[in-house]
This record gives sequence, C-alpha cells and structure tokens, in this order.
Amino acid sequence: MNAAEVVNALLVQRFGVSSGDVTDETPLRSLRIDSLALEELRVLIEDQLDIDLEDVPLTSRDTVGQLVAAVDGMVPA
Amino acid sequence: MTGAHQPFSAAVTGLGMVTAAGVGTKATWHAVTHETRPGGVAHHEELADLPCDFMYTADLDTTELLGVATQRLMDRFSQLAVIAAREAVADAGLSPDDWDGSRVAVVIGSAHGGLPFYDQQHAAMLERGARRVSPKLAPLTVVNGAASSVCMDLGAQGPSLGVATACSSGTVALGTAHQLLRAGVCDIAIAGGAESPISRLLIASACRMKAVSTRREDPAAACRPFDAARDGFVVGEGAGLLVLERPEHAAARRAPVRAHLRGYGASSDAFAAVAPDPDGNGIERALRSAMADAGVQAGDIGHVNAHGTSTVMNDLIEATMLERVIGAHPLVTSTKAMTGHTLGAAGGIETALTVLALEEQLVPPTANLDVPDPRLPVQIVREEPRRASFDCAVKTSLGFGGHNAALVLTR
Repeated sequence: MNAAEVVNALLVQRFGVSSGDVTDETPLRSLRIDSLALEELRVLIEDQLDIDLEDVPLTSRDTVGQLVAAVDGMVPA
Repeated sequence: MTGAHQPFSAAVTGLGMVTAAGVGTKATWHAVTHETRPGGVAHHEELADLPCDFMYTADLDTTELLGVATQRLMDRFSQLAVIAAREAVADAGLSPDDWDGSRVAVVIGSAHGGLPFYDQQHAAMLERGARRVSPKLAPLTVVNGAASSVCMDLGAQGPSLGVATACSSGTVALGTAHQLLRAGVCDIAIAGGAESPISRLLIASACRMKAVSTRREDPAAACRPFDAARDGFVVGEGAGLLVLERPEHAAARRAPVRAHLRGYGASSDAFAAVAPDPDGNGIERALRSAMADAGVQAGDIGHVNAHGTSTVMNDLIEATMLERVIGAHPLVTSTKAMTGHTLGAAGGIETALTVLALEEQLVPPTANLDVPDPRLPVQIVREEPRRASFDCAVKTSLGFGGHNAALVLTR
C-alpha cells in the first residue's frame, strides 16, 4: 500500500472517519483528528510503513494531502 | 443542626442497564427474575490458569452501538456507561435536544476505571518502548472517565464527577446525586455505576487475596450468595444508571415516576483495608442514617436488595446486621449470582433492580441459593421470584476500605 492508502485506511478503520469525507484538501481536524488523535495516527503510520515520523512536524490544521506528502517524503523510494 | 428533618424524594424517571444478565433494562430484569442459572459467566482467555479463571461479561458489540470515532475515546467501562445512559435518558422521555444541559448532573461510580487500558499501555511500554504508549492514558483510565464520556455524549453540562468508594461506588454516586438534587444545583441527575474489570492483573491479585470463588469446574454455580457452600465472589462487568429528577421538575413535564429515591446514608468502618467490621457496625450506621434521612421505620421496609457478594464474611455480617436493624420480615435478595459482582457498578445496577422490584411488586430470587446458610437470620427469596406488597425497599453496599452506603427507595 502507498502512503495515501495507508493514511486513508487508518482514518477509516481506527478513527471512524467515513471514507467519503476524505479528500486531499480536507483538514485533519475536520475529521475529528485533534492533536491527541494525530499523535496516535503518527505512530500507527510508523508501524504500518516501518518508518520514523518523530521529527516530522504535523498539526491537526494540516490537510490529508499534506499529511500524505509528509509521509511520502519519509518512505524510501 | 437540630429540628425536624424534611425528607427529599428524588423522582426516578429512567433506567438503563448493561449487564452479564442482559443488555438493556428489560433483558436484565427478565433474566434476574426468571432465569435460575446465570448465562453470562464463563472461562475467560485473559484469566487462563488463574485459580479463578472465569468472570461475568456483557454480550454486546460496542463498536456497532457507538461507532469507532466515539468508542476510541473511552475504555470499556465508559462505553458501557454511555450505552446505559442513552437507554436511561430515553426511558425517562428526555432528550438532549430539549433539556437545559446546564441543569443536568452526571455522577458515576467506578472502583477501577480504565484499568484494562492502563494494563495494555504498560505492556506496550515494556514491549515496544515509551514512544508506543498512547497519549490517551490519563483521559481513558481515570475513574471520572465514565462521567465525562456521558456528559459529552448527551450534552450534560451541569456538575459531574466520578465516585470512587470501591464496591459501594454506584450506591454512593446515587446518594451524591440525591444530595445534589436536594441542594438544587441541578434538576436532573444521571447517576449510578460502571465497571469493566477484565484485567488479569486485578483478578490475579483477587485470587491471592482469596476473595474470589475458585469453583473453576462450574463457573455458573460459583457465585452463590447466602448459600452454605459459598466460597467467594465472582467479578463481573456492567453499568447501571438511573435518571433522577427534582420532584417538581418531573411533575412539570408530567413524567411517569417509576419510584422515589428518598434516603441516603454512608459511613466508614475505619477498621481495615479489606475486611469489613466483623460486627457490621459501619453498614448499620449507613443504613440507620438512610432510614432517618427518608423518615421510614423498620416496619415500613418490605424488601432489601443486599450487597450479598457470596463471600463467607460479607453475607454473614450483612444478613446479621439486616435482621438487627430491620427485623426478619423483609424479603432479602442478592442479584449478584446473575450479574456477577460488578464492583463499582453494583450499586447502580442493583438500585435499578430495586426500582423494578417496587414497580412490579416482585422480588427477584437469589440464584444458586440451594442450601441457605443456617446462620443467616433473614428471609431470603430463592428458586422463584416472590410476589409481595411493599412500598419501601432498601439497597445496601459495602466497599473495600470500609466504605458503606445505603439507599431507601419508595413507590
């Protein structure tokens, strides 16, 4: 799975987001991903893709697209 | 303070229950009154190889009922509380859309709160390191988590708190709600208890304490309150919540009143960390205070839903105290053989069952009571439910640490 698929699947399965609400432009906080949830999501993405996002700045104001881009930047090509 | 004490009758207008006997008030009441053998107790993987490897659990799909987005913000005791609270509020004919949320209080007792989540996160830290620990540990595990979850779910914005007095927490929560209503700081209170102690750590310790039954060959027969062969309690999960209202608030909206919560008393043994006062003086003080608060006499009381945990000591001390304070006439029962000992939830569940007993004029039998302990000087209902005429009933609870509480309910 690529970064977008992993992020989308986690949002739906672990955070109860309905998949129809997820677009690249959707701010995370409008999906009820607050700062606490974002920290959980960060670790789940790390586990799934075996990457380290510890130093990647993320906020709940970021959009789904920005999150995916940040994850993509850490995934070995 | 002296002078005549004016009793305060809080109106009970709604009930909500999730128990091992049934999901929902109707299912729980039906099982407690009409089934003779508990169906909700079984060996549990989490407890494998412990001297007590079984417990009572509620059969429900919390994910389906709550949805992932809501469920993930709570440990299971809070999830059960929210499900019970929704039922209680709907039963009361109330809706968060048309009440004044600032006048709605929430008071929920729990002994251990989110202990299972605490356990899981501790394991995560040991196995996978500090960065794998959830940032939600504090909000999910605190004992007040059930109260805050219910507030959030229903938009209740009045005073709210968790109550922690071990196994009397649910009863103390209801008593505290009675006092809040009497003080006029709210018009509606959602109160009771919630617990989900599915924790190997906790049961391992309870086994070492020799407090729990070790009847591993027959878990359904293990919890047998007042029986001569009882050998300890059996832990269970559940939630029981009541909607209480100031009487004029219930009257103004013409709400059917199912019963009244009329008196509350609490006391402390100041005796031991676990053992109850062997003479039952603490629970006696709580019961006498509750009767005085309600302005009722021993002769008025027709039914007692006892703490009746199925430990050798509790049942003997409690039954002896009940006879001493009230006499031999009330119909006594313990419903724990059907629900398990739900610790901090017990007082909430059992007070709801007491409301139903008053309403239906029917006392549930004590399941598994085959041979009553001959030392117990009270009339214990067994084998089948007993129809009777009574206007007043009592709920008693005792908690580790010597926390005693009693409630008086009337029709």
